[in-house]
Parts: sequence; C-alpha cells; structure tokens
Amino acid sequence: MSVLKIKDLHVSVGDKEILKGVNLTINTGEVHALLGPNGNGKSTLLSAIMGHPAYSVTKGSITLDDEDVLAMSVDERSRKGLFLGMQYPQSIPGVTNSDFLKAAINARREEPIRLFQFIKKLDKAIDELEMNEDLAHRYLNEGFSGGEKKRNEILQMKLLEPKFALLDEIDSGLDVDALRIVSESINNMRNDDLGMVIVSHYDRLYENIRPTHVHILVDGQIVVDGGYELIKKVNEEGFEWVKELGVTFKEEEKKIAPMSLGSCGAKVTRDE
Amino acid sequence: MSNVELSYDHYIVIKDNEVTGSSLPSNVSFNENTLTFEIGAPISLHVILIYENTKIHYDFKDHVHAEIIESRACHAGGRLEREISLGKDAHVNMFNEIVSDENNELQFIDEGSLDENALLQIGYNELSDNIIDGQYHFKLTGEGAQAKVRMAMLSRKDEKKHYCVHIEHLARHTTGIMDNYGVVKDEARLTVDGIGTINKGYNGSAAHQTNKIIVFDEKCQASANPYLYIDEYDVTASHAAAVGKMDEDHLYYLQTRGLTKRQAMQLITYGYLEPVIHVVDNEMLQERFQEALAKVGA
Repeated sequence: MSVLKIKDLHVSVGDKEILKGVNLTINTGEVHALLGPNGNGKSTLLSAIMGHPAYSVTKGSITLDDEDVLAMSVDERSRKGLFLGMQYPQSIPGVTNSDFLKAAINARREEPIRLFQFIKKLDKAIDELEMNEDLAHRYLNEGFSGGEKKRNEILQMKLLEPKFALLDEIDSGLDVDALRIVSESINNMRNDDLGMVIVSHYDRLYENIRPTHVHILVDGQIVVDGGYELIKKVNEEGFEWVKELGVTFKEEEKKIAPMSLGSCGAKVTRDE
Repeated sequence: MSNVELSYDHYIVIKDNEVTGSSLPSNVSFNENTLTFEIGAPISLHVILIYENTKIHYDFKDHVHAEIIESRACHAGGRLEREISLGKDAHVNMFNEIVSDENNELQFIDEGSLDENALLQIGYNELSDNIIDGQYHFKLTGEGAQAKVRMAMLSRKDEKKHYCVHIEHLARHTTGIMDNYGVVKDEARLTVDGIGTINKGYNGSAAHQTNKIIVFDEKCQASANPYLYIDEYDVTASHAAAVGKMDEDHLYYLQTRGLTKRQAMQLITYGYLEPVIHVVDNEMLQERFQEALAKVGA
C-alpha cells in the first residue's frame, strides 16, 4: 500500500496565496472527491501536487510513501507514480500519440517496451474507451474535440498505471455516452494499488464512481470531510450550509471565466 | 505527385567528378558532370557525392518521373554547385543530406529551373555538424510549374548556418511553397531568408512560405526573414516567420507524463523536423534521420 500525504500545504501564485493549509491523506485503494465552489483552490491543489511551475509551495509538505514529493521534478513525480488528468490538456502538433505514449511508457521502464506489446496495450485501451482507431497516428490532442481530449487523458492513465491519479474535471465537455465510458473505465481501473483524487462539478460522475471519501475545499482549506452522503447534500443544497459551520467564503469568481481560478496556469493553448 | 516506389538498386558514386561505382537504369547517364534523366520507367536513384569543390547538373528531361536521394560527403569542406533543370511535366522528388560531420566550412549553391507543369519537391536535411552557407534558387520558367521546398535545419555548438531560399516566378500559374524549420542550440547561429518573387504579368501564381526556428538556449542566435516581392495583383501569397522558445506548456504536459525536459524537447523537435523525410518514401533514410536527430537532445 502507498500513501500520499499532504500536510499544512500553503500555495501561492505570484503573491496571491491560494491554498492556506491543506491537510489530506490518501491511501491506495481509496477514491477521494474534492468539492468546493469555483476559485477556492481545488485545481491548484492538484497542480501543486504535480509540480506546475506557476504554483509555489510556501509552507507544508507533500510526501509519497515518506519520500519528499516537493523535492522532485515534475517528471520524477510522474515516474514515482503520480498522474494528473488535466482539465485542459495541451495539443502538440507534430508529435504523434503513438510516439508520445511510447516515450512516456519507456520513461518508467528499464528496457523499452516491445513494439508488439505496446500496440496490444494501446489497442486494448483504445477499444475500451471507444476511441478512434487512427488515434495512434494522429498528433497529440490536435484537432481533438473536448471529449476526445478527456478520453485521451484516461487512456494515458490506463497505460501509465499510476499509484495516484489526480483527475481535474475529467468529465467536463463529455456527453452522456462519453461520461459513461470514462467512468466505467475509471471504475475498471480501481484496485488496491491505485488511489484517486477527483475534482468535478457534476454529481453524475460521482454517482458512477462512488468515492470513498469526500472533502469540501473552501478558501484554500478543507473545511468538511465525510463520505458519499456529502455529495448528495451539496447536490441538493449547494455550499451555503457550509457557511453555517462558521466558514468564511472566498468571493466566488465564477462567470468571469469559465474555469476555476486554480487551473488558469494550464489553460493556454497555443497551436503552431 | 509521382508514386514511384523507391529502391536502392540504382546508384552512382561520384568522387571529385569521377564515377567510382554505379548501377544506373538505362534511361540515366552521366557525362561531364551532368546526370541526364530520359523518359522511360520511373527512376529511383541514390547519388553519392564525395568532393571538395565540384559542380553537378541534374538534367531531368520532359515527362521524367524521378525520386532522388543525394548523400554528400565533403571531408575537406568546399563548394558544391548544382544545376537542377526540369523539363516539361517532369516530376521530381529529391532529398539531400550531408553525411560528413566535421565542422568544415561548406557552401552550397543550387540553381533550379522548372519548365511547364514541372513539379519539384525537394527536401534538405541540414542537421550536419558543419558551418554552412546555402543559396537555393528556383526559377519557375514554365506555366504551371511548381516548386515545394522543405528544410530541416539544426545549428548547434558554435556552428554558423545561413540559408537563403528563393523561389522566382517567371511564368503564369506557377506555385512556390517553402517550409523552413530549424532548431538552434548552445552558442550557434542560424539564419534563414525566404524569398518569393512574382513579377508583373505572371497572374494566377501562388507564393507561400513558413519559416520557423525554435531557440533552445540563451546564447544562441536565430533569425527567420521572409520576403515577398510581388508586382502582380492576381496572385495569392502568404508568409509566416517565427523565432521562439519551445512552448513551456507543451513541455510541462510531456513532463507530467514522465519525460525529462530533454526528452520532451527531443520529442517535440522530432515532430517539428521530421516531415522533411516524407519528400521521398524510403525506410533507410528514416532510420538515418532518426539517428541524426538524436543529437538534438544531447
């Protein structure tokens, strides 16, 4: 069993503090849902765990089986078993999915994967996610619809077999069928050697996946912990009731931008 | 575009103007620096040049279909002048590579001319470790002639490379397209000038160019300069030039999947330079190109 432990984590972007002391422990085998109003730090938390350069950790610690994650480069974190399924995956012209996936798989192996084995693995994943067979030869996410990009994130997760998967609004932009396929695929991956943290605004994904732990993140801190019943409560009542617990809300910044504040660092797409 | 299946059965080795080995098809001959291609079966030919200073004339007669790979070794440095002429309806795909990496000073001069409805697709593998000045000039002299130029350039360490690609439209309904892609590293310099000229009266012509250079390191210098000289209204023309660092978001994305920064850069560079090899369809060439690219990440 592996443990991802986040202790008193403070994270800033520029001189703005977004996370103000997050504590969270995830064991493999568990699925944690992270809820909270827009702009309160959910995406920031996931990006900080992965090591996005725009987020600076000013205090606190992240450890993976007692190893200091904060001392690792982004690629090291990945090779140690962390995976971030992104809200806005990049499109990279000129790089084929097949070359990219092979390079990513080989990055965590001593011996490069045999071509036959790779193709078999890839075909199986493509099949399960009901993606187009020409995926391998297409450029990475280029010209992909929003839904295809998200499926491609799950496909990568499947092939890279992380210990901990952080899924940032992996269901946004998915139609009903795609959502079913993605959540089935995530459920199929569930096992005692995989822990997950899922951020979503929709209860449908959670309904399908049934997280084991639920947390509400408000103004850079986790203010409520619970089980699946929390999701229902938020779904019916919103977040207003959390205020009654004595929590001050950060002003919501929704409507200004169609994304949560924390994800803006990864948002820019620049083709060509 | 010709769908010629390339084989390496046919080749010619020319060392300082002397043929030292060859297996030529019946419709190809070599005489006094001129390789003549006559109409007949489609031609696939590997030309190997070993030289110091030399001239060569590729003379593609009317209706010839040919796919050429030229590999050059210039161990002492020097100058190579080529004349490439395409007759009416000649379709030629040509790939050029430099196989000597010895930091020599090399000069390349190409003068091309394309007659009516001739089509030249030409690719330059400019990844070698040398100091290079390349002047590539193509004249579209016949109506409907088309020249498509693709370059993959790498300048690294303390190399200096300068290229000028000029497509000149001298007839109506001609098309000139160039895609010049480069990478510059360490303390090297790379300059590419793309020139498209359409003179008055040559209506219905199209001149398009893209010049892009990725800058790896602080101390290198890059410049991509597009020029369009157009004196005719009824034409289409476009140019794009970009010199810049690799997209940080692209690198981050690949790093989150476990690739080191260098591996990520190499993968992106490969995708960026690789299209040049599709000028011809040859597996051996692809392998050689992959090997040459490995030094981008070094």
